[in-house]
Amino acid sequence: MSLTASAEPPVSAVERTAIVPAIETVGLRKAYRGTVVLHDLSLSVAPGEVFGFLGQNGAGKTTTVKILMGLVRPTTGEARIFGLPAGDREARRRVGYLPENFRFHDWLTGAGLLDFHGRPAGLSAGERRARIPEVIQRVGLAGRGDERIRTYSKGMTQRIGLAQAIFHRPKLVLLDEPTSALDPVGRREVRDLIRSLRDDGITVFLNSHLLSEVEMVCDRVAIIDRGRVVHSGRMEELLSGVSELRVKVDRVDDELLSALKRFADVVAVDGSETEPGNEQRAPGVRHGATVTLAVTDLELAPLVAETVIRRGYQLFGLVPVHRSLEEIFMDLIEGGQR
Amino acid sequence: MNTLTIARFTIQEAISRRLILAGAVLSLAFLGLFTLGFYLIYHNDSELSGPLSDAQSQAMFGTVMSVLGLYAVNFLAGFLALFISVGAISGEIDSGALHAVLARPLRRAEFVVGRWLAYAGLIGVYVGLMAGSLLLAARLISGYTTPDPLRATLLMMLASIVLLTVSLFGSTVLSTLANGVVVFSLFGLAWLAGIIEFIGGALSNEAMLNIGTAVSLLIPSDAIWRGASYYVLSPLYLAGLSTGYDGIGIVGHRPPATGR
Repeated sequence: MSLTASAEPPVSAVERTAIVPAIETVGLRKAYRGTVVLHDLSLSVAPGEVFGFLGQNGAGKTTTVKILMGLVRPTTGEARIFGLPAGDREARRRVGYLPENFRFHDWLTGAGLLDFHGRPAGLSAGERRARIPEVIQRVGLAGRGDERIRTYSKGMTQRIGLAQAIFHRPKLVLLDEPTSALDPVGRREVRDLIRSLRDDGITVFLNSHLLSEVEMVCDRVAIIDRGRVVHSGRMEELLSGVSELRVKVDRVDDELLSALKRFADVVAVDGSETEPGNEQRAPGVRHGATVTLAVTDLELAPLVAETVIRRGYQLFGLVPVHRSLEEIFMDLIEGGQR
Repeated sequence: MNTLTIARFTIQEAISRRLILAGAVLSLAFLGLFTLGFYLIYHNDSELSGPLSDAQSQAMFGTVMSVLGLYAVNFLAGFLALFISVGAISGEIDSGALHAVLARPLRRAEFVVGRWLAYAGLIGVYVGLMAGSLLLAARLISGYTTPDPLRATLLMMLASIVLLTVSLFGSTVLSTLANGVVVFSLFGLAWLAGIIEFIGGALSNEAMLNIGTAVSLLIPSDAIWRGASYYVLSPLYLAGLSTGYDGIGIVGHRPPATGR
């Protein structure tokens, strides 16, 4: 290496060219008095992404978020926010945070809470005054900002929590269970809010166990189980990986099953009456049965139809079913527990 | 800057939770009752003065009224300091309200110091107003002029701020309940040790005097109070101490810097 090159600031070529991740953790480990809640957690969230962080209660989601906010120190490992150490003042200036329990100083009014939180975040008095009504409107609390938080319902408290998280125009928003207290209408509004944050280029880290919520709004997910990431990837890839084909036929017997097994795994057989003697006892009666096949590719559907018909079975339905995130999640978690 | 934001926020909280209103109403009631009581005693002059001259009886009455009044104020201020601070941090941690605040670009120390500043200010104002009003009332009733009201008041503020500081520190490491048990025990211990030290002085008992000194080193609230009270005592009253009279058990009879 030449002398001129070594005189340059110590920034690697990768760092100069690559986009700095909004969140990056390397080998995070947290143990509380010997109980390990996070094992070697490594994550990377790109700027502008809506990232879903999924796991059961107690999997380590909230601990991870608290480490990212600098509220908890990791036992070992490193966490960075936009390249800055997590908990650094400048890092925290760029982040908005909705804590899991969303408890705030309830003697303040909604507007008062925002004003208080805007000060350390670096907003001037004028900016705060201008932004309070705007944000209160955005979270659906218009007209309620001058009431004390003590008088708010659970859902309203969660909304004012969202408002304080986005109040100072952060580049990254960490939401820990943001919809747990909301009704279906409120949840939809929060989804819309998250989408509008994404449209503004804001990175959202969504911590949730409400899988359907995550499925609807996230670009990428990581699934965490007992302190370890068991899966992470783009939402479409996760959802498109394995699908199911539901084949509704008049009857099911071993012949049909063995024929179908050549294409795909049989996941379930419902409503069949394949006990010996049944066909003889009621010949021609449509018993009606559904065979569920796990397929990697839905293009197999015509082939399955042909097989069923050619062997003399009656085909009533052939329904491709995408597996929900919940099913994938359950498989991953149960797989890990085996 | 952040420290002042937290201090302001803490004062707002005290106003919003009606702490200041309740404190003001009860303090006025206390001052009114105290003044009325001593007014009635002073003007019921049949046996009070006895063989004393006018100057002596005025000094005696003024000293007793001021010392008793300030002693009560000192107690109230100590309780106020402990009550407002005993859960000032632990309560915030328990409720979870601290999470959202500490996630801001704000040092933990700024939060603690901001809260301390606000409480110390409240206590300072409380002690200043109460002690000032009491000494003024004593003067108006009996014409007694306190030798050094400023030092007395400042030392009383210090006594309560010491309690506040210990209790606020405890609140960062202990639960509200545990901290309450610890700081109120210390407060009581300091009071008891002060009495033991006084009796030890009267009996010339070295062990009792040492107990008092040791506890004062641990928690100096009572020792500081005794220093404050010295500046309220009339020189005529102090002169009486040389005649073998041991004085009042709850006050200090020497200036604070000179030890025993």
